[in-house]
Amino acid sequence: MDNNELNLPGYEIPDDMKNTVAITSLDRLYNWGRRSSVWPLMFGLACCAIEMIAAQASRYDLARFGMEVMRPTPRQADLMIVSGTVTKKMVPAIVRLYNQMPEPKYVMAMGACASSGGPFKEGYNVVAGIDKFLPVDIYVPGCPPTPQALMNGLIMLQKKIDKESISKVRWYRKGADTVEVPVPILGPDLIDVRRIPDIKSKVAELSNPPAQREA
Amino acid sequence: MYGKGLLKGLGVTFVRFFNTYWEDLTWMWRRVTTGEKRYHSAEGIAHRSSKNTRGIFTVQYPEEKLPVPEEFRYIPFLVYDEGADGAKEIRCTSCGICSKVCPPQCIWIVRGTDPSTGRPKPQPAEFYIDADICMNCGFCAEYCPFDAIKMDHDYELASYTRTLLPMEKLMKPASYYAEIRPLNAAREDEARKAKEAAKAAKAEAAAA
Repeated sequence: MDNNELNLPGYEIPDDMKNTVAITSLDRLYNWGRRSSVWPLMFGLACCAIEMIAAQASRYDLARFGMEVMRPTPRQADLMIVSGTVTKKMVPAIVRLYNQMPEPKYVMAMGACASSGGPFKEGYNVVAGIDKFLPVDIYVPGCPPTPQALMNGLIMLQKKIDKESISKVRWYRKGADTVEVPVPILGPDLIDVRRIPDIKSKVAELSNPPAQREA
Repeated sequence: MYGKGLLKGLGVTFVRFFNTYWEDLTWMWRRVTTGEKRYHSAEGIAHRSSKNTRGIFTVQYPEEKLPVPEEFRYIPFLVYDEGADGAKEIRCTSCGICSKVCPPQCIWIVRGTDPSTGRPKPQPAEFYIDADICMNCGFCAEYCPFDAIKMDHDYELASYTRTLLPMEKLMKPASYYAEIRPLNAAREDEARKAKEAAKAAKAEAAAA
């Protein structure tokens, strides 16, 4: 973002004052700082991770976007690139990592598997898309996306950050913390904790069908 | 030993650092004499991807893009022929072979019906590809008997929501296909013409 864009407050500045005052909003400053230092979390799940590493290496060089610091700890990361197949066994760990990330935090579903399950979408051991559990900000199709496609996604994310407002983002709202995602439980199958009430009511309905009750 | 390895390593880094600026200077001279640029140009990318490159070789993506090879494949698209007065004659006959061979089952087609007779016609009414499921395998293009579905080169498809591509977005002209895959398109055109010629000769022989 150049200086002209930074100084677009939405107010009319008189011509004689144009070179002496700079009115800007806090949002712009915040977003500018945030989008220029999106630090991804350093973890990979499958073959997409190889492309992510290639994008990080010197041929494509994410440092040009301020994303060069892949943090191995979620406490210092802003962006979670879910790069690869999300197995049911891995989901609890991924959700826990997401919960440990400080706000603002973004999730990118990289590749077909993370976006929708891809070729494994009906598999017994694969989650059909990480968006079933985490709020995904950006989807990058491809199998795997090339480094340039991934960078296109990251640029789109920067554009999204540019449009955000501190007063409207979900993590600065008052009230219940809407960001914490309950960690799913891995038993014989994966259990999404948020669906337990639904499942219980369904079980009650099935074990006690209304027709039998009448009889 | 005694830190010599460290110095050697730093030396390598320094040589690369120096080479970057040295290359820039030599290319500045080339720019004056031949008009070739090191950055943001096809010959610059070709040089930086070659084994003769020295110094920095980063592809500065949004400004310049690494050219993709002809057989590079991403999400498929539907080829249409441009008929007279700009009519889009889609090659697809909605036979459904592509959706049957698709390993992740990301294609779905609604067959078109003729509004006057109410009977099915060989043309899709709707055609969807879920770009977020597609695994870019190219089976659809491989199996299509009408050369109607082909793999695209466009990889800039990132979006804020799940991407379901409808027919309007999938349709691209045959000239676009010939542009991104010139060798393949020429070969297929030749085969199609030969087939048509054989058919015409056969019909002639039957008539005689």
